[in-house]
Amino acid sequence: MAETRRFVCIVCPRGCALEVDVDVDVAGEGKAVLALRGNACARGEVYGRSEIVDPRRSLTSTVRVANGKRRRLPVRSTGTIPLPRLREAARALDGIVVEGPLACGTVIAVDFLGLGVDIVATDQLERGM
Amino acid sequence: MVDRKEYDVLVIGGGPAGLAAALSASGTGARVGLIEREECLGGILKQCVHDGFGLVRFGQMLSGPEYARRFIDLVEGSDIAVHLETFVHAARRLASAGGGYVLECVSRDEGVFEAYAPALVLATGCRERSDRQVFIHGDRPAGVLTAGLAQHLVNIEGVLPGRRAVILGSGDIGLIMARRLTLEGMEVEGVYELKAEPSGLSRNLQQCLSDFGIPLHLLMTVVEIHGKRRVEAVTAARVDLRGSVIAGSERLVECDTLVLSVGLIPENELALSLGLGLDPSTKGPKVDQGGGAGEGIFVCGNALHVNDLVDYVSESGEAAGRDAAGHALSIGAAGGTAAPGRRVAVKAGPGFLYAVPQFIDLSRPGPAVIYFRVNSTLREGARVSLSAAGETLLGKRYPALRPPEMERLEIDPGRVPEGCDSLWLELERKEADLG
Amino acid sequence: MKLDKLRSALRKRFGDGVEAREDRGSIVLEGQLPSWEARLEAGSRAVGAGSRGVVNDIVADDCAWAASERLDSPRDPGRDEGEKGLEGLSFDVAVIGGGVVGCAVARELAKWRVSTILLEKEEDVAFHASSRNDGMIHDGFAARPGSLKAKFNILGNRLWEALAWELGIEFRRPGSIVLFRNAATQALYPAFAARAAMNHVDGWEYWSPRRVRAEEPNVCDGQHGAFFLPSAGVISPYRATVALAESAVMNGVRVELGTCVKGFEKEGDRIARVRTDRGDFRASVVVNAAGNWADVVASFADDRFFSLHQRRGTDMILDSQAGGLQRHIMAMPSIMQAKSTTKGGGLVTTVEGNILVGPTATELPGRESYATSTSELRTLERHFRINRRLLPSMAITYFAGVRACTWEEDFIIERSRRVANLVHAAGIQSPGLASAPAIAEEVARISLDVLCATMKVSPNASFVAVRDAPLELRRLSLEERAKAVSRNPSYGRIVCRCEEVSEGEIRDAMKSPLPVRSLDAVKRRARPGMGRCHGGFCTPRVMEIVADELGIGIDEVTKKGPGSRIAVGMTKSGLGEGFRG
Repeated sequence: MAETRRFVCIVCPRGCALEVDVDVDVAGEGKAVLALRGNACARGEVYGRSEIVDPRRSLTSTVRVANGKRRRLPVRSTGTIPLPRLREAARALDGIVVEGPLACGTVIAVDFLGLGVDIVATDQLERGM
Repeated sequence: MVDRKEYDVLVIGGGPAGLAAALSASGTGARVGLIEREECLGGILKQCVHDGFGLVRFGQMLSGPEYARRFIDLVEGSDIAVHLETFVHAARRLASAGGGYVLECVSRDEGVFEAYAPALVLATGCRERSDRQVFIHGDRPAGVLTAGLAQHLVNIEGVLPGRRAVILGSGDIGLIMARRLTLEGMEVEGVYELKAEPSGLSRNLQQCLSDFGIPLHLLMTVVEIHGKRRVEAVTAARVDLRGSVIAGSERLVECDTLVLSVGLIPENELALSLGLGLDPSTKGPKVDQGGGAGEGIFVCGNALHVNDLVDYVSESGEAAGRDAAGHALSIGAAGGTAAPGRRVAVKAGPGFLYAVPQFIDLSRPGPAVIYFRVNSTLREGARVSLSAAGETLLGKRYPALRPPEMERLEIDPGRVPEGCDSLWLELERKEADLG
Repeated sequence: MKLDKLRSALRKRFGDGVEAREDRGSIVLEGQLPSWEARLEAGSRAVGAGSRGVVNDIVADDCAWAASERLDSPRDPGRDEGEKGLEGLSFDVAVIGGGVVGCAVARELAKWRVSTILLEKEEDVAFHASSRNDGMIHDGFAARPGSLKAKFNILGNRLWEALAWELGIEFRRPGSIVLFRNAATQALYPAFAARAAMNHVDGWEYWSPRRVRAEEPNVCDGQHGAFFLPSAGVISPYRATVALAESAVMNGVRVELGTCVKGFEKEGDRIARVRTDRGDFRASVVVNAAGNWADVVASFADDRFFSLHQRRGTDMILDSQAGGLQRHIMAMPSIMQAKSTTKGGGLVTTVEGNILVGPTATELPGRESYATSTSELRTLERHFRINRRLLPSMAITYFAGVRACTWEEDFIIERSRRVANLVHAAGIQSPGLASAPAIAEEVARISLDVLCATMKVSPNASFVAVRDAPLELRRLSLEERAKAVSRNPSYGRIVCRCEEVSEGEIRDAMKSPLPVRSLDAVKRRARPGMGRCHGGFCTPRVMEIVADELGIGIDEVTKKGPGSRIAVGMTKSGLGEGFRG
């Protein structure tokens, strides 16, 4: 059974309105992309297709700082995480505590939760007090 | 007498606009002083831990701190004099030949001092409108905060402002905060937007609301806050297309937090104190393509008008820094005066919210960037043209235009015909958007 | 018989819903009426029918909840129960209420060798009406001749200037311009002058339209001159109250915040003990300065010969950028307003350099209901006509206050006729701020009279009148400021950009003689967050300083005491999950 799904591309601020024809099974799950329209670039095509079969997002958040003037250090995932696991991943960051000094880009968790992405610092952290 | 530090260019504000302005001014050989009120550079980017910055400029999705870091590293490697935790108490123009400006500064580490430069760059950013400024009535308990304050509390301090939030206004910071609060453990009951269309970028509606099943209620607003000490509920109501509350549509929404994302206002207290007039449509000073507001004052970034992307803030900062340095150095060379060039006005026709800059100085080399916003959504896109005395100088097609999204055009000042005193920005809609 | 007349008038107007009876000189109204307005009308009609006050216990069907505020002690805002630090103590005088009147009384008593305790149920002084008004020190012209309001207003107006100097707070006399909007109001000048003379107002003049224009170039067109009252002044009402309380503490008064009076234990015709949620203690004299709860406190002593009704007032604050558009206080009353009990509001130039528009005057239930409404703001818009350059869009915020009004619309300042050691300072509505120093002198005098019967009272030779004013860096010259910052670098770190408040000033405020425990309390003293951004930028910074000074976590900082935390906990702690549960 085919149906058309409409959503906004989040790859860049342009926000193209994508239209994707999808072959869906009885449970409403997307199985295969039949056609994709509305994208202005190739990255939109990639995004639109993956959004149907395996929607993923990158995670940005903060982690606790043990010994600094700052209380939190901003971090991000090096790649995308399955959308349904985003909340769980954000929550799990609570277990991470860092200490300065740290350079921007330092890996602070490898293969986070087995998701195949690392967590890296997105700012530098000065030496603690 | 207090100590006086002398520069060619003084930049007030160490956010993205001020960083870019300081770097570009310094790049021309000018001695630059950068004054920042907070303990580190970066401005609001410090608390914008989400990504999406720098796509236009760097072709990468950076987080706010990463975007800022690229500029801060350059500033730290330059000979720009950075004055942190320094507040400009007052600014005054010198009446003597050559003019220039003296800033009275208060600093934690440097004490009280004066700073002088022939050229001044105002990169003072913007502030958020508050609940009272959008006339929400009722009590004044804890739990009412702007989106930016919520962002600071969550991202910098690591504290949660409440358990269940209602967000008023669908501006980008409000949408970003809907996602941040959800991921940090709060329940976001919904986002309420007074207008018929969302104010934020489409991609943020998708990745901040739809992803988490947070409803967006268009044509609805919050009219009253309940709770003496901490918010206990708000009254939400439907509004008509003019924004008037529809009687009888009120309903009570249980929550302990009200987050406001109801607009940003350029911060121009210093500009006003220096006698600059403001453009009522941008709430910023009227400037030329280098942010020049006259007499050696240059304005850039969100102090000029509220931008949608930081990339454009940096761009306007660079232009202002370059022209400010040019002004300062030409004053030095000309022994006290900088000759103003011929200027034409940039006027936005029907269908636009505004166009910036308001003037183009024809004596400046290089292309001039005109930023504009339309006042209603054109889903089918439109052609925007720039004309002078009936003659079209350039035109550009846009696949879609929405009020939240700023667009830009570049014009070579050399193409402006002799004898014309204003350029008109015009909008040609496609048939589908008419009526 | 006045009572019979009242009864028949009430029956005619309201049917059998209302009953009036006399109780020891007071007229007590009971029964049920459909609306708050009807209840108000009944209350006003009863004035003068008895020898004492009106007690209006009528329940209005549309505001039945308000009846619960009639005799109950104010609800506890979730305080830590169990701490009984006051149990078993003994004081010469207990002052109930930390508003401007209570604090001024406490300071006045500190000039004598008596032990005084001041009880405030909230976490700070000036929590209610004393921080919710326009700060005007009225000239005394508007008060009804012969009233206590007229008497104490004039006396208070004369005292404030010197008192403000002693307290180290700013006081200015911009003077008040009462504009004549047309020839008919202009013709009232002789009547205005006669009233001013009757009230002993300090100076008044007729100003021609040209003089008005010269003094206030932005004044509206078409004015017919003005009645000018040079003695009208302004003050920061919350700073004044805080300063009075601090001065009292410095001179030995014990101020107990977060302490709510629950009742009295009487022995014969005297109050023997004051019962509070922090323990019971003995007091030789009790001063009732409980503001909007003064009738409830009176009822604790079985002396409720009056009752209060609440009149809400809303004020709008304009951006300080607009402050230079006007020098004087200005108002343009209609003829109707000139005769009514409220003064009609206008444009007040505050000591902070803002212009304040208001207040309104609306009868609404709720002793502590500070909700604002669109209709209230709309009634303020007419004041913008007075000054051609002021616009409603200049408003940065607005707030409401509640006036504590007796049905007679006058102050009650007297020793109780039924309780030998109770002194009332009740029904203190506008011009209560202006009158406060004079009320305090009178209440202190009465209290000392009562005390003198049982003990010897002598002056406090070590009383220090002058309070060291906290530093306000933005008001110093650059050179003075440079010296201050080099002495203490935290004066150089600006925390509130709109009002230019430094970290050092906030720390000073928190080290003052009175405990400072919340953001609003800091705001009342050092003003961070009072400006155009409304704390959007400085709130986290002030929270950090407050947390540091109090030695608590940043998530424990409150806006206005218990139950008003800014943050509920740390991020990622799962707090929002199960919100409904």
